[in-house]
Amino acid sequence: MNITAALGFLWDYRLALFIGLGNTLYFTAVGLAFGLALGFLVSVVRQVGHPVLKVIATVYVEIFRGTPVLIQLFWFFFCLPALLGMELGNVFSTVLTLSLYMGAISSESFRAALKAIGSEQRDACVALGLPARVSVPYVILPQTVMRAVPTLLSNCVTLFKESALVSAVGMADLMYQGQMIADATARPIEILTATALIYFVIAFSVTRTVTFYERSYLSRMRL
Amino acid sequence: MGRYTWDFSVITANWDPLMAGLSVTLQLTAICAVIGLVGGFVVCQMVMSRIAPLRWVAVAFIELFRCTPALVQIIWIFYCVPFFFGVFYDPFYMAILALGMNITAFNAEAYRAAIQSIPSSHYDACTALGMSPLKKTIYVILPQAVLMAIPVLLTNTIGLLQQTSLVAIVAIADLMYEGKTLATQTYRPIEIYTTVAFIYFALSVPLSQVVGLCERRLRSRLA
Repeated sequence: MNITAALGFLWDYRLALFIGLGNTLYFTAVGLAFGLALGFLVSVVRQVGHPVLKVIATVYVEIFRGTPVLIQLFWFFFCLPALLGMELGNVFSTVLTLSLYMGAISSESFRAALKAIGSEQRDACVALGLPARVSVPYVILPQTVMRAVPTLLSNCVTLFKESALVSAVGMADLMYQGQMIADATARPIEILTATALIYFVIAFSVTRTVTFYERSYLSRMRL
Repeated sequence: MGRYTWDFSVITANWDPLMAGLSVTLQLTAICAVIGLVGGFVVCQMVMSRIAPLRWVAVAFIELFRCTPALVQIIWIFYCVPFFFGVFYDPFYMAILALGMNITAFNAEAYRAAIQSIPSSHYDACTALGMSPLKKTIYVILPQAVLMAIPVLLTNTIGLLQQTSLVAIVAIADLMYEGKTLATQTYRPIEIYTTVAFIYFALSVPLSQVVGLCERRLRSRLA
């Protein structure tokens, strides 16, 4: 295959790919923002909430972790508007699904991090006579966040990758643009490889950052 | 809200296609799970091998499949493998190829983490007993690696079950595809998508219960 011709061909479609990438990043970012907040809230509720709230939170997490994202997307695109009897808008449905999914998977990361704090830390707080208003923000929270960061970052990569599914409901993300161009030009190899590479470069750099963070910070602090 | 009248007769009337789809989903999951269990260990051994080129190939393979969306992999393999190799297999086999390689990459990482957690004293013992590298791998490393990796391997398999829904996008008649087709034919997306989601959920939940059980067992065994 002629590399120069392939690159020239890709260059002609750079704008379409950029728009797609922009949309992918936008959906991922909004999903992350809402998802992380929701995930933290849910993990706290599951730890200390009212029993009824605990059950609701657990069911929510299990449903979103136990079903494919694709069916979640289809459900929020086609079923929820029909049930509510109103239009929700494509972007809203997309962002809602991604946020709820991210909330479910990140709540598990927060929960694991909360659990992983050794009981001697709590004992030390008691021995030092620290009240909860001091021990929680200064002892528990920093360790939880530090420890949750690696899994949360890999959750972010997961969300970024799963966001490719929104192409199946016709949202113009990177995957959708790639497929459209491939179908229109009948040259799938160049364009699909380029699409895969764009995903790879972004996901790979985040994954490397996670490894670096784990090696340099967490091991040094013996967390 | 509330004006929607649920009518689940559409499910009972179309029970056969749904079950046919479920059977395809289960076949895909089972075949790819086996490929992943075996292939993952092989790739993991390559990553830890002393021969550098083997290591490079294995690492590149793992990173490529872990850092791109599964949807991109499936579509890439569907469009590009026939072009590159001039072969065209049944879509079902293409799906097995894509999903099998995907889970192989994820399982390889699971095995690697498990092997790294085997204490070095075991390696020393093997050397002291004069075991050949092959014997050491098969009788000492493999059983422990599999045991330690079981929770993550099972979690990956649950992920695989959900990833198989992606093959619906390339028109393989799995559960998701049958659901999609029925939803368009019968104009009853709510009942159908809810049922399909429930089936996936009902398959995932027992598996994740087993994961929890394994983790507790392992922890008490190794403690």
